[in-house]
Amino acid sequence: MADRRRINGPPGGTRPAVFASSLNTADTATGRPQRQRQFNELRKIFLKTGLIPSASGSAYLEYEPSASLAAARSSPKSLIPPSSALKLACTVHGPKPLPRSATFSPNLVLTTHVKYAPFAARKRKGHIRDSSERDLGVHLETALRGVIVAERWPKSGLDITITILEAEDDRWWGDAPDSHDAPWGMINVLAGCITAASAAIADARIDCLDLVAGGVAAIVSDESEDSEAKPKLMLDTDPAEHKAILSACVVAYLPSRDEITEIWLKGDCSRAMLGADDKRSGHDALIDGAVDAARGAHSVLAEAVRESAQRFVGLAAGAQ
Amino acid sequence: MVGPTATLTPLSRADGSASYRCPSTGSNILGSVNAPVELPARRDALRPEDATVEVFVKPGTAPGGVGERYIENVIKNMLAKLILGREKGYARRGVVITLATIGGESVGRGDSYLTLLPALIHTALLALLSAAVPLSMTFSATVLAVNASGEITREPSEKEAAAATSLHALAFSSKGHLLLNESQGAFDFDTWEKVHARALAICHGTLTRTSDGDVAMAEDVDGQPLEGTVRETVEDKLHQDYAWKTDAP
Amino acid sequence: MAQAAASAAQSAAPSLSLPPSQFARLQPHAYLLAHLSPPPATNQPSIRANGRAPSQFRVTSANTGSLTHTNGSAVVRLGDTTAVCGVRAEILHTEDIASWSVSRSTESSSAPTNKRRKLTDPTTKPNERIDSKDEDDNESHIQDFNLLVPNLSLSTGCAPGFIPGAPPSTLAQSLSHQILTLLHSTRLVRAEDLRIWYQPPNLGPEDLECHNENEQMDVDASQEDEKNKEIKAFWVLYIDVMIVSLAGNPFDAAWAAVLAALRDTKLPRAWWDVDNEMVVCSDAVSEARKLTLRGLPVSSSFCVFEADAASGWRAVVIPDAEEEKELDDSARKGNQRRWILADPDGYEEGLTQERICVVVDKEQGGKGKTVIQKLEKVGGWTADAKELKALVDISAQRWEDVRRILNEQC
Repeated sequence: MADRRRINGPPGGTRPAVFASSLNTADTATGRPQRQRQFNELRKIFLKTGLIPSASGSAYLEYEPSASLAAARSSPKSLIPPSSALKLACTVHGPKPLPRSATFSPNLVLTTHVKYAPFAARKRKGHIRDSSERDLGVHLETALRGVIVAERWPKSGLDITITILEAEDDRWWGDAPDSHDAPWGMINVLAGCITAASAAIADARIDCLDLVAGGVAAIVSDESEDSEAKPKLMLDTDPAEHKAILSACVVAYLPSRDEITEIWLKGDCSRAMLGADDKRSGHDALIDGAVDAARGAHSVLAEAVRESAQRFVGLAAGAQ
Repeated sequence: MVGPTATLTPLSRADGSASYRCPSTGSNILGSVNAPVELPARRDALRPEDATVEVFVKPGTAPGGVGERYIENVIKNMLAKLILGREKGYARRGVVITLATIGGESVGRGDSYLTLLPALIHTALLALLSAAVPLSMTFSATVLAVNASGEITREPSEKEAAAATSLHALAFSSKGHLLLNESQGAFDFDTWEKVHARALAICHGTLTRTSDGDVAMAEDVDGQPLEGTVRETVEDKLHQDYAWKTDAP
Repeated sequence: MAQAAASAAQSAAPSLSLPPSQFARLQPHAYLLAHLSPPPATNQPSIRANGRAPSQFRVTSANTGSLTHTNGSAVVRLGDTTAVCGVRAEILHTEDIASWSVSRSTESSSAPTNKRRKLTDPTTKPNERIDSKDEDDNESHIQDFNLLVPNLSLSTGCAPGFIPGAPPSTLAQSLSHQILTLLHSTRLVRAEDLRIWYQPPNLGPEDLECHNENEQMDVDASQEDEKNKEIKAFWVLYIDVMIVSLAGNPFDAAWAAVLAALRDTKLPRAWWDVDNEMVVCSDAVSEARKLTLRGLPVSSSFCVFEADAASGWRAVVIPDAEEEKELDDSARKGNQRRWILADPDGYEEGLTQERICVVVDKEQGGKGKTVIQKLEKVGGWTADAKELKALVDISAQRWEDVRRILNEQC
């Protein structure tokens, strides 16, 4: 059944372009992009608030393109991008009165929507939210609900909408679709969503306990040739750069209270051998790593929120 | 040129209705108006002193799509300005206009409704008159096609419209204002001015001012002006309805 | 502390004037009117509440090619309205088109390579062939097979009132439709750019080597190659526009974004792979080609602001068009009643009903000659022939600005 509210494509459906180089796997001249960062080095985050004036709060977040992507951008050879960098816009509308049909709530009712643009991922996304997008929305809501001081706005609603303009890859494009079992890109997207939403909420001047920041850590095993390769802990992984991600974890972390409001751990972290002096178990190390990454994101976040506050002070002064 | 034919109040349950048939474009429209009607309570955000106009366009065979939403908007914006929505009994109520295509070619994906637009507008007007909705002015509309050699065709058929370099749908109020213009395809402003003059002549005839300042409508190559057709249709209906009174001895 | 605040409040209380921002919210119509018609004594120029002159557009900027997973992309900012457009090309095989075997006119069943086609389409006679070079026949492919799929989304949190996750609002649907009709009526994209041809293997030496299982090499190649050439697939362009921020005039921003993204769009070289029976593309950037667009249609929108907002309250007799013209000329020196505002922002859109949209192009046709591609006006009777002429001239100036902005990118 065609969607009557949108303009539909050919009724027979279309197929994504198939590149000759991806058909014969031997010919993958470009090769897998390599991680150029240290294991604990994060990608730079561009975060700016207040770009959408009609919203009460807004933020735009962009990750620095990885080395391979930056190289591909500056001197393009192949049409297949080696990896991608997260770009998303977050808006906050509210606090506003709840619709009359809604039941009474003594607290601020938080609604989160995460939607990929149709062109955000390597595979074209549909216009209607799919299960992964709903999933992201639920995770984001949990992460934020613990931070907002909800009792201050009874009978009110707060809408948080995130539009993902460019998502992270789940795996390197040259890998077979089933070589990585999980949608690892989603984990990075969630971390970005948390950080951006936190900035947008602060920009909307909603009272929060702390600035919640998202961080990602993963246990990866890269060297495929020698089977002895030890799985390693990496912060802020780009899934396109790794042969196999064993497990990954995203946290929503409140640095000043040292609390975690949301944790999402995927995969098997029991095999991790972290080193002789490290007595931590796999998942402990993973969570610690994610918290470290979140601390990194927090410094960017704090800077963006400071800018937002200065702009607000300027506006208030101008209005007088 | 065969003029359009119209009937008033073919539907008995609606507050007002009209059916309209344009032989040259082959369109056949049935329209109904319900006004004033109570709108659901969610509408309280709308302007408190004015009526809300809603237009629904139903294509003949297929379910409606984005094209219908667009043309509904165009007709709605045009009518909202003419309907006296602040008259007694209309404020905060709705004027609901439904226009259904029941004959002629259907409009494809991404096609414009331009060829059908005059028929839709006329049907809406007659249905509004039949429902006795207060209007500040009446209006009439036409569609013209300009082909590559600059010839202007009045109310082109589907085929002629497809071959044209530009299509223009224009609506004029009974007082000669340009109410609506929808033009597409490549053209220059001189062409548009010619189209405008021709459309005005089609809708109003060639205006001739008599010595006492009255404006008289005169017929010309385009036959009877459309404005007159609308008037006659309404007059005929009135004659019919009051036959018991006027024909009484 | 509390005392200080109280005394401050007391001293402020007697003043009955409102700060401008509150006046703007409470009496939006009067606020804009006061800006547009300042008292004649003050000698102030007539200016809009946002500080622009009536025919002034907002600062526009464009940025193309920043999205990784698109064939072409653009971000256009028109003041505070931001539109992001991404073009994704996908392949439509002709065998997936239900009506293809009927509509196809270039088919030649004498081509021995095409056994599949022969089986599925036994009715086609060898001589049943219309000259495919006919321009109009060619272009109808875009419309017939839905090769352009523009969709605009407003449910991005771009403005309050658009519920995210809800189906597209009527505004979004109207805008999508407007973009599609404009793409069709301007014939911006050439159908030839979207075709993927298959030349039977008796053409190039590489093909000969690859597909020497086909045994029709003895056919007179030079004669046959035009005849044997057939369309195997089409590129379908999914043009998605996300209005990230909405502050009035979404159509101009969206159309500029679509235009910039299409100018940025590169399609990979694609060919029919006989072995796999599918279309395969080359990933080499050097082989990819840009779309060759027809002209550069630029859209400019206007709205008409009327001084007498309350006219509807009273039964006013609307003057005839002729009288109105005279009235207008006499009012030229005195107080103006209506203003045509270019590129309205969200505040102004809320106060006006009459909308005018002009799409002009100066590249197509003669040099420097303004070609109108679309002229739309609805919702009132202010703009008549004279006003529209002036607006076409303003749009022609605007075209120069937009072209400069877009050319800086590409």
